[in-house]
Amino acid sequence: MTEISIATSVPSAMPPIGAQPDGPAKVTVRDLNFYYGQNHALKHINLALATNRVTAFIGPSGCGKSTLLRIFNRMYDLYPGQRAEGQVLLDTTNILDPKLDLNLLRARVGMVFQKPTPFPMTIYENIAFGVRLYEKISKSEMDGRVEKALRGAALWNEVKDKLNASGLSLSGGQQQRLCIARTIAVRPEVILFDEPCSALDPISTAKIEELIDELKEQYTIAIVTHNMQQAARVSESTAFMYLGELIEFGPTNKIFTSPSDRRTQDYITGRFG
Amino acid sequence: MADMAVETTGLQAAAGPYDRAKALSAFKLGDKAFYWTTRSCAISVLLILGGIIVSLIIGALPAIREFGFSFLTTSRWAPANDPPVLGALGPIYGTLVTSLIAMMIAIPVGLGIAIFLTELCPMWLRRPIGLAIELLAGIPSIIYGMWGFFVLGPFLAYHFQPFMISIFADIPVLNDIFAGPPSYLSLFNAALILAIMVLPFITAISVDVFKTVPPVLKEAAYGVGCTTWEVVRSVVIPYTRVGVIGGVMLALGRALGETMAVTFIIGNSFRITGSIFSPGTTISAAIASEFAESDGLHQSGLILLGLLLFILTFLVLAAARLLLLRLELKAGK
Repeated sequence: MTEISIATSVPSAMPPIGAQPDGPAKVTVRDLNFYYGQNHALKHINLALATNRVTAFIGPSGCGKSTLLRIFNRMYDLYPGQRAEGQVLLDTTNILDPKLDLNLLRARVGMVFQKPTPFPMTIYENIAFGVRLYEKISKSEMDGRVEKALRGAALWNEVKDKLNASGLSLSGGQQQRLCIARTIAVRPEVILFDEPCSALDPISTAKIEELIDELKEQYTIAIVTHNMQQAARVSESTAFMYLGELIEFGPTNKIFTSPSDRRTQDYITGRFG
Repeated sequence: MADMAVETTGLQAAAGPYDRAKALSAFKLGDKAFYWTTRSCAISVLLILGGIIVSLIIGALPAIREFGFSFLTTSRWAPANDPPVLGALGPIYGTLVTSLIAMMIAIPVGLGIAIFLTELCPMWLRRPIGLAIELLAGIPSIIYGMWGFFVLGPFLAYHFQPFMISIFADIPVLNDIFAGPPSYLSLFNAALILAIMVLPFITAISVDVFKTVPPVLKEAAYGVGCTTWEVVRSVVIPYTRVGVIGGVMLALGRALGETMAVTFIIGNSFRITGSIFSPGTTISAAIASEFAESDGLHQSGLILLGLLLFILTFLVLAAARLLLLRLELKAGK
């Protein structure tokens, strides 16, 4: 606990980065450090995710993008030896508080993974499952929730006649949209996308991107991607990370047209990475 | 045309001094030998299995002729009579009851250990528990038998059985199942030893298959806000149920056929009583304790018992397959 209070009272060694995102901050990261055992994976990260906006994280493999994302829902807690220091605020709640109810946090901060991860059950159950964890609702209400979630993920028309088929019987792109439907069915506030399209074909990718664009009306979104066009297409703000540091953070069009850091310039023009 | 001619000669030149066809045919010979070696290994399994079945049937034939179907429905076992009266109901009952109780104890405990080891256990405790499970599997069954006879049996007879008998004394049905007098040698004692013996199978196989659940799938379940229990119940176990059931069936197969430890502590009584605290016998225990001094029709009867055990085990395996098939259909695959 003392570490956290010290970290907030002492200003970061890093200069303030980039422009402030427009809109109020949903998630605020202050002087965040992360360790895999001895390995210092994230160094003094400061940034904010704006409410109802899409923030993209780009950077070469191993730069800490996914690590940062996994802090937002404390997924790293599942593994011993991984720890975070600093402060991450969801509205006003400190996510890193050891006493925090993790199940509640993960209901507020949903996540969609790199590979589609349907649960080994029917399409209907895949979605009803998460809802049932928090709410006791009747069958007809549940039917409505499932349909709404599937419509929200642009999957309803493709699966409405086979809701009792296994989630695993869908194609990769459909499975990924099923996972998005499952995530939004729980009504989170923030959705984290960890390279959601890296296993998908271009058409499925386009559908997911469209979906992200619609989802930001209601949710605050963070997306990690290796595809720079994708970052440029879907996000309002972009963060470029390199070797565990946040190099540059600002409006997406500025990052992609006139980055202020040499390394950002090199990365987005494909000189390394 | 000219080009082609040049190419052909080029190829021949490249083939050079070695004869490729000859080299290849040598490989082919090796391949053929390999194929036949492995194939004969595989076929030998069928031959051995067939041989065992045939010899069991031939050995059991006199008993089948003499007793016919009544062998399955008679509970009297009097090999010393003239002519001998042999009925397998007692051993069949004992085999099924001990295995059933053993599985009722071993499945929840085994799965509990596996879940704790894979999902909840702190790192430093994993090795010792895992090692203990492996050692448990390595203990010879005769040692379980002796331990059951000298330590577990007296303990159960003096403490556990009187306690259970007094608890259920006033409850109908249950007071017949848990009826006295307490005994060192009983179906329940044998079942408890069997449970301990098959526990490592269930645990080891469950741990192995639990580890095959992709971390990202578990993360996804945690990601919608599941607790560890919900992740295990809704993701880990459905994902691994084929493997878990396989482990359970392996354990059941061992429980049905386990001989030495059971022979020590079951009491070798062919009478069927409702109480699980009374002595009984199993098919394998009956064969083990009587085969050496049997002859003629008695021996044939024991072989027939063996054949029945074989069929019983086969039926259990078939039922397991059927169960898996239905589970898969239900999951919508």
